[in-house]
Amino acid sequence: MNCETYENQLGDYVDGARASGLPGDARLAAFERHLAGCARCQALVADFTSIRGAAARLEEHVPPPRLWTRVAASIGEPQQRPWWRRPLAGAFPSWAPVAVAVSLALLIAGATWLAWTQEPAAAPHEAVGAPAEPDTAPAEEHYEAAIAGLEQLAASQDASLDADTRAVLKQNLAVLDRAISESRAALADEPADALAQESLLDALDTKVTLLQDTVALAADADAGSDDAAGAAKELNQ
Amino acid sequence: MRTADLELAARCRAGDADAFEELYRQHARRLFSLVVRMLGSGEDAEDLLQEVFLQAHRKLAGFRGESTLGTWLYRLTMNHCLDHLRGRHAKMSRATDSLDDEGTAEPMAPAPAVPPAISRMDLEKAIDALPPGARAAFLLHDVEGFEHQEVAEILGVSEGTSKSQVHKARLKLRAMLRR
Repeated sequence: MNCETYENQLGDYVDGARASGLPGDARLAAFERHLAGCARCQALVADFTSIRGAAARLEEHVPPPRLWTRVAASIGEPQQRPWWRRPLAGAFPSWAPVAVAVSLALLIAGATWLAWTQEPAAAPHEAVGAPAEPDTAPAEEHYEAAIAGLEQLAASQDASLDADTRAVLKQNLAVLDRAISESRAALADEPADALAQESLLDALDTKVTLLQDTVALAADADAGSDDAAGAAKELNQ
Repeated sequence: MRTADLELAARCRAGDADAFEELYRQHARRLFSLVVRMLGSGEDAEDLLQEVFLQAHRKLAGFRGESTLGTWLYRLTMNHCLDHLRGRHAKMSRATDSLDDEGTAEPMAPAPAVPPAISRMDLEKAIDALPPGARAAFLLHDVEGFEHQEVAEILGVSEGTSKSQVHKARLKLRAMLRR
């Protein structure tokens, strides 16, 4: 018989089949006898074995985190998590996270601007002896203490988040910090301005929530990595 | 395994979002690698795999557990890949390959052997140049490690065709790698 008639047996042999382990396979036994005297088939076995080994060692391509976000969005999964807890990049058009951040900045800046511009309207209240606006200092201290603790915790877990998510979180924190600074500047000019006080406390509250969710997201990412590793191990068995 | 698959599929059908994410986490990595190598592009692979999981979400109602969820997902993925490649090839008016067995003329003249240490880049490039049918069978068998019976089930062909396609792929890779 010529070499071509043993095509399947040659493949099986490269995959590890041996006549000694498959005593009922007469064709495999015949191929092994043929192989012993055929330089061409010996060369094929050597090259195919080399190719098979190199193929099995090829590195895995890792899907970017944004792929799950895209999948979840396409199947209409209820968005149970707040936006800042989802892997953002790729879930929406690339400008969407920026748009959210800008909208937030505009909202807070707008509130601050209103606080400045409504000064004349507040005057009559002051004229009839309205009580002074409540002091925000105790609330600020409470928020600042919470923020300091959360920032420390978030920094220690920062490496658990993917680069895209980290970038968006950092960007959103910067927007909030700017809003906090602007509100404080407005309050420095008008300490009794209710809207500026409200803007400041809202921004501090949002920052606390964002940091809380950053910590939770990092914890989720850690758990996800463990799950994926376990699943990969199971599939490879 | 089948029981676990059926339970996971049932949870997905019941609208359990965590269950579908679990399904994704279990299979996305291996499927992504396969699709990147089938299409030769990470960007196309993302688009195609998104479509695969969308289809899977819609079709889970029809999953009866005759095969594992993994095999079922691989079949869905390979169908999408081959459709995509056939469409691309048709548009480019290039010759296409099919899963039907085709004879492969092997050069009989002596040639240098495949280098013992094949570089990853050379192999990836050579795989990318394989006809779609042979590439699919080779990736599933030699890269992903499926048995011929599983490859046949995923590709919807006979076991003999799977063996033949893998042989054809190895021959073509051998010719490309020893140039």
